Amino acid sequence: MRGAAVTADRLRAAWRSLERAHEAVFVAPLRRAGAREARRQADVLRTLVLLESLGVDNPVGYEVLDLVPYLVADLHAWHVRTGRERYGDVGVCC
Amino acid sequence: MPAIVVALAVLALFALGYRYYSPYLARKVFALDPAYATPAHTMRDGIDFIPTNKHVLFGHHFTSVAGAAPIVGPAIAVFWGWGPALAWIVLGTIFAAGVHDFGSIVVSVRHRAKSIGTLASDVINKRARTLFLLIIFFLLTLVNAVFAVVIGNLFVANPGAVLPIVLEIPLAIAIGQYIYRTRSPALIPSILGVIVLYATIPLGQLFPISLDGFAQFLGVEQTRNIWVVLLFAYTFVAARLPVWLLLQPRDYINSHQLFIALAVILLGIGIGLNTIVAPVVNDVPAGSPSWFPLLFITIACGAISGFHSLVASGTTSKQIDKDTDARYVGYMGAVGEGSLALGSVLACTAGVAATQVEWEALYADFATASGSSTQNFVAGIAAFAGNLGVPIALGTIFAAVVVISFAATTMDTGVRLQRYIVQEIAEVAGARALARNATAATTIAVLVPLAMALLPGGGEAGYTFGVLWQLFGTTNQLTAGLALAVIAVWVTRNRRNATAVLIPLVFLLVMTTWALIINLVKFVEQGQWVLAPLDAIIFLLALWLIVEAAIALRDARRNPVPDPPGPTVEGDVGARRSSDG
Repeated sequence: MRGAAVTADRLRAAWRSLERAHEAVFVAPLRRAGAREARRQADVLRTLVLLESLGVDNPVGYEVLDLVPYLVADLHAWHVRTGRERYGDVGVCC
Repeated sequence: MPAIVVALAVLALFALGYRYYSPYLARKVFALDPAYATPAHTMRDGIDFIPTNKHVLFGHHFTSVAGAAPIVGPAIAVFWGWGPALAWIVLGTIFAAGVHDFGSIVVSVRHRAKSIGTLASDVINKRARTLFLLIIFFLLTLVNAVFAVVIGNLFVANPGAVLPIVLEIPLAIAIGQYIYRTRSPALIPSILGVIVLYATIPLGQLFPISLDGFAQFLGVEQTRNIWVVLLFAYTFVAARLPVWLLLQPRDYINSHQLFIALAVILLGIGIGLNTIVAPVVNDVPAGSPSWFPLLFITIACGAISGFHSLVASGTTSKQIDKDTDARYVGYMGAVGEGSLALGSVLACTAGVAATQVEWEALYADFATASGSSTQNFVAGIAAFAGNLGVPIALGTIFAAVVVISFAATTMDTGVRLQRYIVQEIAEVAGARALARNATAATTIAVLVPLAMALLPGGGEAGYTFGVLWQLFGTTNQLTAGLALAVIAVWVTRNRRNATAVLIPLVFLLVMTTWALIINLVKFVEQGQWVLAPLDAIIFLLALWLIVEAAIALRDARRNPVPDPPGPTVEGDVGARRSSDG
């Protein structure tokens, strides 16, 4: 009885290892594709907010007005991601 | 000779290459540094830049580079016998592809994970960027044309494969949506998905879809051309969809199919003990193209492929955890591709026919051999699957589904990339209206290869499929040449011995240029006024590449500018220089 329980535990552990390996090798790239798309949409929103902060007319200017304060922190992550160590004037971003 | 003996011998040679040659590259040529802080750490964003376990990253890299190309090239090249094909696959993988794939990752990692196109501009000069765009334009045009022909031929030869391929589309979308919408493990849904896909194979056998009647109704001589038009219509739509909706989920299913197919090949030849019935060197009919130098452009992927540099520098370099992981991921990625090419050689020499007489009928002349090359691979895999108890009819559809899935995803990606390339070339040329019009760019990306694919081929009065394939091979080899030139210049600038990079670079450029001249003379003699100018343009690109590479190497030798000290994993920027030892 105890032997059967140990075998079941080992099988469960092996299955979980298989699931983790499958997740890392096969599923992770697919999940990243979804995350990349979400980030692309966030980039579009960021552009709209940036346009608003620069005083350029855009179709959703009023709606994104409240988001301007969030722009600076977000801008930092964006320019690091695009390969630029510094962005804008000193004190504006980093 | 038993196929399993050849397979084990080749795999042993690959293992020796990894064990003894790749450490030399790592230490003496690329000077890998375990303390170097890779872009996955310094630019970490959790999506593109993310430190990844080297075994996992190898899985990502291998499934991205593996496709239908290492299957088709060797399936044609065994026309000259399995000896030359296998020799080029082994030597190419160990001494050319290993250096190229490994080096592309390293150079990209040392340049903030930039892509090979940007690196060409940074490391060689700005003209090299334009050269890269033009080579990629022709590469993608020919990729899309040849794979449309491959799929069209397979649909005509295997009408039972049409339904599974069509049903794969909603299946891929459903699995993709499941994975995006849940965080739970996807192993069971994926297994179910693959089972459902293969359950459609008997369904496809029951309900084969043939367009012969439709082609007759339209007065089209070749049914394949109807499929080609339908395929490009599909890719026109697919290339405009977000990648996460269809392309990525299809790739996801393909990555499972890749390992299943490799397992079928290895288990099949291990259990069935098939014998290679093709001659080591085939006594080809008079007037056939010579294997030297055409073999080296017929087998690109599987021996060395420039496409790998796009993957290596585009996604893999962003995920390298430690500098030293590049050896395992890059070199083993090349070995994986070589193994797939080995499988293709065995399927087309040991699986497809039981006797040499049968084999010689399939490879009677170059036009016959190249026209039916993919179908020969399919028949060979069906025979290997038969060794495992799968009925030949079902095994044939299974193999056709695998090849078509790979080729269709490559086409989908190819048309999408071509759209970007057309827009980028338009931007460089100042045609801003085209650069900003995605629909017009997609139309060009579809119409140019469509025109190439619809020109007569497959052994009629026109050119053979193998010739179109060789032109694709030349553009692929030129891309590899450009990547090797970037690697060689970077190694030379850092005052290290670049011989290991220069030998495959010179060999590749000489063989490709030589093959282009031979084909150009032949096309002019035959009055092939579509292929001749295309060949001439690619030849000019090859000359341009040789000149740029020579100038950049001369400058790098005269004025070496070693890389500044890179960041370390502890964040101690400039603490030490990369070691040459």
